[in-house]
Amino acid sequence: MDELYLDNIDEFVNDHNKIVTYKSLSLTLGVHVNTAKQMLYHYLEHKRKESSPQLHATYLVTGKFVDNGQTCHRVSIVREDQLEDFKSKMSLIVSVHVYSVQKALLKDSGPLYSVDYDAVKDHLQNCSKYSAIQCPGAVPVSSLERQQALNAPNPPQSEPGNSGTNRETNTTSKAHPRPQKGIMGMFSKKSAVKSQNTSEEVKPEQKDEPAVVDSAKNKPAAKANPMMNFFGSQTAKKSVKAVKEEADQTSERKSPQPCEKSDGAAVQHQKDPRSKTKRAEDEDSEEDKMDKKKRRRIKKPEPDSSDEEVVPDSPPPQEALTRERSPKKETETVQPSNSHSGVKVRKRRRVLKSRTYLDADGCMVTEKGFESESYSESEEDFRAPKAAQREPFKAKANPGSKEDDKKSQKKAPASSNKGGKQASIMGFFQKK
Amino acid sequence: MFSDVSAQKNGPSLLCSPASEEQGPTFERISLPYELYSDRYRVGQRSFSRQYAHIYAARLMQMRPLLAERAQQKWGSNVLIKKLCDLEPGEQCCIVGTLFKRMELQPSILKEISEEHNLLPQPARAKYISEADELILEDELQRIKLEGKFDKDKCVTGSVVAIYGAEKNDGKFTVEDFCMADLPLQTPRPALSSDRFVLLASGLGLGGHNADSMLGLQLLVDMVTGQLGDTGEQSGAAAISRVLLAGNLLSQNTQDKDASTKAKYLTKKTQAGSVEAIRVLDELLLQLVASVPVDVMPGQYDPTNYTLPQQPLHPCMFPLSSAYNTLQLVSNPFEASIDGVRFLGTSGQNVCDIQRYSSMDSHLEILEETLQLRHLAPTAPDTLGCYPFYQKDPFILEECPHVYFSGNAPTFESKLIKGPDGQEVLLVTIPEFSSTQTACLVNLRTLQCEPICFTAFSADKDEENEMNISH
Repeated sequence: MDELYLDNIDEFVNDHNKIVTYKSLSLTLGVHVNTAKQMLYHYLEHKRKESSPQLHATYLVTGKFVDNGQTCHRVSIVREDQLEDFKSKMSLIVSVHVYSVQKALLKDSGPLYSVDYDAVKDHLQNCSKYSAIQCPGAVPVSSLERQQALNAPNPPQSEPGNSGTNRETNTTSKAHPRPQKGIMGMFSKKSAVKSQNTSEEVKPEQKDEPAVVDSAKNKPAAKANPMMNFFGSQTAKKSVKAVKEEADQTSERKSPQPCEKSDGAAVQHQKDPRSKTKRAEDEDSEEDKMDKKKRRRIKKPEPDSSDEEVVPDSPPPQEALTRERSPKKETETVQPSNSHSGVKVRKRRRVLKSRTYLDADGCMVTEKGFESESYSESEEDFRAPKAAQREPFKAKANPGSKEDDKKSQKKAPASSNKGGKQASIMGFFQKK
Repeated sequence: MFSDVSAQKNGPSLLCSPASEEQGPTFERISLPYELYSDRYRVGQRSFSRQYAHIYAARLMQMRPLLAERAQQKWGSNVLIKKLCDLEPGEQCCIVGTLFKRMELQPSILKEISEEHNLLPQPARAKYISEADELILEDELQRIKLEGKFDKDKCVTGSVVAIYGAEKNDGKFTVEDFCMADLPLQTPRPALSSDRFVLLASGLGLGGHNADSMLGLQLLVDMVTGQLGDTGEQSGAAAISRVLLAGNLLSQNTQDKDASTKAKYLTKKTQAGSVEAIRVLDELLLQLVASVPVDVMPGQYDPTNYTLPQQPLHPCMFPLSSAYNTLQLVSNPFEASIDGVRFLGTSGQNVCDIQRYSSMDSHLEILEETLQLRHLAPTAPDTLGCYPFYQKDPFILEECPHVYFSGNAPTFESKLIKGPDGQEVLLVTIPEFSSTQTACLVNLRTLQCEPICFTAFSADKDEENEMNISH
């Protein structure tokens, strides 16, 4: 065996003035722990023969110890000068070996811990590689495998309100077709909690690509969870908090790293709400009120769960709420007029009009018929009495106008009841 | 004993120069069949809108037939077992019901906030028992006061017992004898051929101010993962098939209550103490799970729910170690079968609670008492936080374990007890590692438990000799 290790140990002990434990030596040189212990012993003997500057060592003694009738197995670190004394107290000695070598005499064993801690920290992933026991069952499960295992039995469930959020997630994850399955898996209630675990695994292992997947997945998870609570599952409550913490962590880690284009926007979104906390909180409360109103309508027996849900929501799900706004607004426009007033939208409706055209013989023909026309609410009032008498005309079936018909019919009785309604001032500006 | 086992397998001493190019010997970790039975302690959807009275009703309903049988075995098969509403004065009979101990010193929130009493909040005491305590037996419909020759200080609220005696004219029941449900039946454990061990440890106390225990903890991890010791020791350690951490992985110091009392602007940027502690725990667990299967139970100071049964810690807190499938996050209480030997135990909250409300001091004695009562935590939900079950009481022991443990005890104690139907149970109180630097090794073949203690030296020479705590 090469004697190089002697020089290595020498360098650590004398030049760097460090404490060399068998564990740090084994991890640094990449040798079996028992070999490292023997190396330390050899070095000690070698140096002592040469009578060079004084070296101190600590030993590890294990064995049976009887204390007031109670036998126990004792594992101790002792200083060299206490070694013989200690050995005599034990009733049966199982093993003795060198634990560490250092230049200075240690009064306290505290520094030994810090040396080992640093050594292990540097080699965290293969700390058991050089130990004497190997466990065949202890294999780190790869994150992708876990993901596959989780997504296979749980098909994604489609929920109506998620249409808006689905669009967003699809655009951000276009570049990653595989993880998209993982995102869809997010929307199934059962796998929500588990898939956050998988995204956790992904995080420490690889940093660039899966990290992008990670953030893309986190965001839909963050969005999905308030939406799922929206529709009634309470088990996702805990996962929201877990996701929140996790999302916080990912956003912190993201900031120093270069992000891809598709990810950049996503990260920005996450960072912006975090910086503007005050405004976000105001928005949040507004959203919450809207949420509460919505929730009360759809699911009555869980008012307390939605309250709890709403309060701990903070920046990451904030994004979910801002995105929720768009689908909500869409639904609002479709609803009858008992929703928020003052939302003026131009609508289409059918109007009796006369058309003049030239026919095949070159004669002018004038016909009366229904045509679609766009109008706004203020004008609608004047037309109200006429609208009540109109029949729906089949010719140009415009789905929008059909709804308009229903709306206008509904509005007609409503407005005809308020016969004495004042014309709004906007009437002056719209009629041309 | 572990020491003997390891000494037998000893190879050449390591106090020599490294021999040729050969690498050191590697042993393979023994792998044993393992089955988790903790489903009954998992609470799915939680609803706290129920009353707690349902647990008592379920408990009594489940235990009544068992107690009736025991009563007949003890006092003859023709003993009258009556309900309280059918009692007649002067008639010798047996009644079955739940005990309730009315203690004056028991902290009651209603008394504290009531203005007419004008009481200052009581300081926490070690024991809440006093001379003036009264015992009352309750069944489904009525309750009756008990008096007579029994040690009322040993009894705790919530235990279901059968009492033999008679009712006096003044409406109190005179107790002549009583019996408990005693141990349930046990499936005999298989005869094992070689020594296999399970390491039990609790009270790691990470994040605390006591840094001395960290070296001990590192030694523990090194020993179990086979890095410490000679070849004999390492091969002995390869026989440790499993490690069970029974609660209080985090120290009490990490439970920072400042966040609720201090102003928000002062605490906004401060991180909770448990964050760093969990990170250290994760790294520690990573070293362990790479080499041995580990079961992690939550305890009183760990970040999980407070009420029993405590749900397993969430794997998102352990990003490094949860990548390994050898990490098992389990609930508290915990029940599993390792190589046919049934383990059942808690992190110690139930035992500590009984200790506060009875005269018993030894954790081992309390452990035996709970086994005799056939109930893990009789004081739940009265003084011990518990989830409002209503269909059944999951703390009732249905099958007798082979090893029954509780964590976070002040000292290590173990005892082998025999039951009336030939059961054999090893009772173990796992000491708190942060203060005692001691863990326990259970030998599955002989059903014996041995403590392992880890010591180091420090500035005071005398301390070395006093490190090992004995009872």
